[in-house]
Amino acid sequence: MRHARIIFEGRELDVDIDAQDRIITSEGETLDVSLDSDQITWLPPVKNPGTIFALGLNYADHATELAFEPPKEPLVFIKHANTLTGHKQVSYRPDNVEYQHYECELVAVIGKQGKNIKREDALDYVAGYTVCNDFAIRDYLENYYRPNLRVKSRDSLLPMGPWIVDTADVPNANNLRLTTEVNGKMTQDGSTKDMIFDVPFLIEYLSKIMTLNPGDMIATGTPHGVADMQPGDTVVCTLEAIGSLETRIVSEQDYYGDNY
Amino acid sequence: MTAKTLVKSKLICVALNDKAQLAALEKTFNQAPYKKPPTEPVLYYKPHNTWNVNSAEIEWARDFEGQEVPEMVVGASLGVVMGKETCRVSAEQALDYVGGYTVVADYSLPEQNYYRPDIKGKCLDTTAPVGPEIVPAEKISNPDELTVTISVNGQQKSEFKLSNMQRSVSELISKISYIMTLQPDEIIAVGFAGDRVPVAQGDQVETSIQGVGTLKNTLGGA
Repeated sequence: MRHARIIFEGRELDVDIDAQDRIITSEGETLDVSLDSDQITWLPPVKNPGTIFALGLNYADHATELAFEPPKEPLVFIKHANTLTGHKQVSYRPDNVEYQHYECELVAVIGKQGKNIKREDALDYVAGYTVCNDFAIRDYLENYYRPNLRVKSRDSLLPMGPWIVDTADVPNANNLRLTTEVNGKMTQDGSTKDMIFDVPFLIEYLSKIMTLNPGDMIATGTPHGVADMQPGDTVVCTLEAIGSLETRIVSEQDYYGDNY
Repeated sequence: MTAKTLVKSKLICVALNDKAQLAALEKTFNQAPYKKPPTEPVLYYKPHNTWNVNSAEIEWARDFEGQEVPEMVVGASLGVVMGKETCRVSAEQALDYVGGYTVVADYSLPEQNYYRPDIKGKCLDTTAPVGPEIVPAEKISNPDELTVTISVNGQQKSEFKLSNMQRSVSELISKISYIMTLQPDEIIAVGFAGDRVPVAQGDQVETSIQGVGTLKNTLGGA
């Protein structure tokens, strides 16, 4: 089963989506709308977002692309809900930057509180999986707590969704094709099998440091094949067996409107 | 996470905002991996699992082998509590967006380097007590003139005048508000003395700002 949060006909709804793509509300009502309808506004799928852990350099080929040695220990950084937006929403490109790239990633959503979780038990703590696009603005990188918040904590630059797929419906999250298309052209084609630190490892690692809570998310990093984005571009990040997350890039002025 | 935490949704800390610390580390920061001193505020989060309250015990951390760590330290900061949504404000306007002030303590492993996010050092459970209360903004005429002290078992170990911060409260609010839209009750810990104070198991720690309050916590593990 898939689980999403949407706005439809003015109502904010927690919905399930079944194998026939029917959208069913928590009251059991089947909505008379198709999954690809523009009448649906997609919200970030985690209702009460906790801590968002994101991984840097977690695919060997991407680390090489950025001229780094693959890490011997996870490179983890933290994000908060201000960065989240949903499927078919917009993200912005800051003014006067040279290079902003997408990062298509598998996300594990924590469903149960735990500390010192063993690798072999880790998936019991995962409610499900979703897709995110963890945008980065390379111009803003500084060598202090890198990747620094100015790069990775900006409003709207973590689209997530469209939905969460139950863990049981993804038998092997370590072997999923991961692709990105920009304006219909494929620019990234990898597999989660090339991840350096997989989801069970990361859960064991993080939970040795701290308590993980329901609503926490782990964005597991991106493989080789990142590219610059410009306002007007549409980027679609796809994880096999999970879903496709579409984002349109707008300018900073368009995004902030009266606050610009 | 403690139920009655004063933090709502976000606790942002500013590192390396003590002028004396930046001066002392200047040579280091001109070498690899830093290559040059920071040009923007150096920020980190204390996430949900760290949030704690006045009078509560701070857990003594354990390492990856499950052994108690040999050393923990504490820093203290003025906590600036946002009063309304704060998006892209100038330094001149910034203080109009502050709802109140409080004290933030940051217990952690010793700060050994600043190159990568310090998840292992900074994200330990219960290590960010905030309180004891939020003092309304109008009670503090100039937050940059406050002094933050840390006492351990009744002895003062650290005194930090916020006039020695590299960036002022209003400048930090402005800078951060251009990175992310701040929401009411989100808190910024604006600056810590460069020298963090070592603490031991069972220590009673008071972090204090005159006019704002005193946060009292005890280290666990004793």
